[in-house]
Amino acid sequence: MSTTKKVTSVILGSAMAASLVGAVGMAGPAFAQEDNMEKCFGVSLAGKNDCAAGPGTTCAGTSKVDFQGNAWTLVPAGLCENSEFWGKVLPGDRTGSLTAIDRDMV
Amino acid sequence: MFDPLNIPNQSGAGFKGEHFASIMESNSTVGFFEIHAENYMGAGGLPHRMLTAIREKYPLSVHGVGLSIGAEGPLDTEHLTRLKNVVDRYQPGLVSEHLAWSTHDTNFLNDLLPVPYTKAVLDRVVEHIDQVQTTLGRQILLENPSTYVAFSQSEMKEVDFIRQVQKRTGCGLLLDVNNVHVSATNQNYDAKDYLASFPVEHVGEIHLGGHARDVDDQGAPLLIDAHDREVDDAVWGLYAHLIGNIGPRPTLIEWDNDVPAWHILKADVDAAGRILEQKAGNTHAA
Amino acid sequence: MPPEFALEDFAKALRAPDAPLPKGIVDPFGNPAPKRFDVYRNNVTVSLIEALQAAFPAVCALVGEVFFREMARTYLRTHPPASPVMIEYGHGFAEFIEQFEPAASLPFLPDVARLDRAWLDVYHAADAQPLNPARLAGLNDDVLTGARFFVHPAVRFINSGFPLHDLWQAGRAAKSAAGIDPSLVQNVAITRPRYEIQTFGVTPVSAIFIRALMEKEPLGAAVEKVADIKGFDLTRVLNRLLTSGFFMDVEF
Repeated sequence: MSTTKKVTSVILGSAMAASLVGAVGMAGPAFAQEDNMEKCFGVSLAGKNDCAAGPGTTCAGTSKVDFQGNAWTLVPAGLCENSEFWGKVLPGDRTGSLTAIDRDMV
Repeated sequence: MFDPLNIPNQSGAGFKGEHFASIMESNSTVGFFEIHAENYMGAGGLPHRMLTAIREKYPLSVHGVGLSIGAEGPLDTEHLTRLKNVVDRYQPGLVSEHLAWSTHDTNFLNDLLPVPYTKAVLDRVVEHIDQVQTTLGRQILLENPSTYVAFSQSEMKEVDFIRQVQKRTGCGLLLDVNNVHVSATNQNYDAKDYLASFPVEHVGEIHLGGHARDVDDQGAPLLIDAHDREVDDAVWGLYAHLIGNIGPRPTLIEWDNDVPAWHILKADVDAAGRILEQKAGNTHAA
Repeated sequence: MPPEFALEDFAKALRAPDAPLPKGIVDPFGNPAPKRFDVYRNNVTVSLIEALQAAFPAVCALVGEVFFREMARTYLRTHPPASPVMIEYGHGFAEFIEQFEPAASLPFLPDVARLDRAWLDVYHAADAQPLNPARLAGLNDDVLTGARFFVHPAVRFINSGFPLHDLWQAGRAAKSAAGIDPSLVQNVAITRPRYEIQTFGVTPVSAIFIRALMEKEPLGAAVEKVADIKGFDLTRVLNRLLTSGFFMDVEF
């Protein structure tokens, strides 16, 4: 075994032991035989197959407008309205910030 | 304890995941639940977890919406296999599909589209239903459609087409009374005449649902099978008339768009239940 | 055989607003019925738009409903579903958005779409008991070094060069995205140990490690790939993977 590997395995053993603190014997919902179903109901999704018709003769199915390639006619709104912010998220020199981390990330 | 393979002559509801907690908490009295098979073609997760719990407490009916029995091309055997998997997994009391098409050249159109009532189409529908019943190893019920157009090529009335399909395949029939009202209005015929000539002895289930109103090219009323509101009074009238004639049948309330709180849907389920009891009482007294 | 041709024309005209009314489509009095036919045109289009809107809620919130529904309508014209199972529709939507010019000012949008779609895949994925972390306790270093993991079936991992997790969460919660740090790079892991879905952001370094484990590289080899890179926190990553149900099994 190379020196590097020995070092790695020592790191590994202690890291694993530390990572298992609080994980082994977890009684949390993730590993319970029956987790708290109530919590899940909030995200129960309706499947999108049904046998009902849509809203009659509105124009969604008959509009001839084609937005492919007509960028100027269709503008994002929603949470993207703040264009100043979105400018910053554009790709560019992003490599300098690769180590930025927030508290929820691993 | 109920017999899960026997759907009782009571009223039931289309099952929606958002109603699961209300149904379980209130321990609701419901004759049966029905699901759209395609929404349970995933491998696992919450939808199957909830449906398994429902199936333990209530009889279940499986209603396919994507098999495209009226299509020109051959049936999608992969989809038929997936339907069989759902049926095998849940062992429902009833399995049904539509007299409609929804797939063309492998493109799924996600709507129940109408077929012309011709001998050629009849042969094709019969062949497809034979294939479905053979694959599933059981009888299916075929549902009459809501239609918005007619085909000048049609050679026979819808009700005669359906009678022929039933006779040649031995399938059962799912009589959607809202569809009868919608199609009768849109196609300018009398709904009661339609019901009078329908082969009611083969009806294994009835559907009721709400519809929306529009107008056609000439300004004539055009009803849309939207399943987005309470059952219409005209449809309740037809239903009571029908049950008075043929006796009680399992009856489902469908509500798929703008799905309301459980107690609102349950009110329509109970209304259908009262008609079933009343007519059963009358039949018994007679 | 005229009826056969009727359905062919019918099917084509449903998705082509410019197409003429198919031959033989009439009202009960035999008059041509274009407005009646439009009910079907509309049903097909609206029902598919709504299937996409249900599958891509974060994308929809970020661009607004008007933009989303037009983008969806353009997509379904060229990418109709190949299967009748609507819970599976939209697997090519992210790639379509990459080419959709009106969305070009939002280069992160395809990644948000990939995450929305993966979330739905996880929602419907097969059930499995996650790996019990206790199976890794008390093992000697050599055994741990050779450990290979099997990923749980309800796990997906999305690579991104954007603050994807924060953007996606803002969309899902319909909260303002104004507070998001644009310099963050977040890959995203999605897990579902039983029925409840969990998501967490993953740094580029941790992503190299996790990808190696997903490709069944032994734990020791995966650690060696990143051990010298600044900011890699092995304890923290292992803890999150093991407590979120990322793995189903391990072999030594």
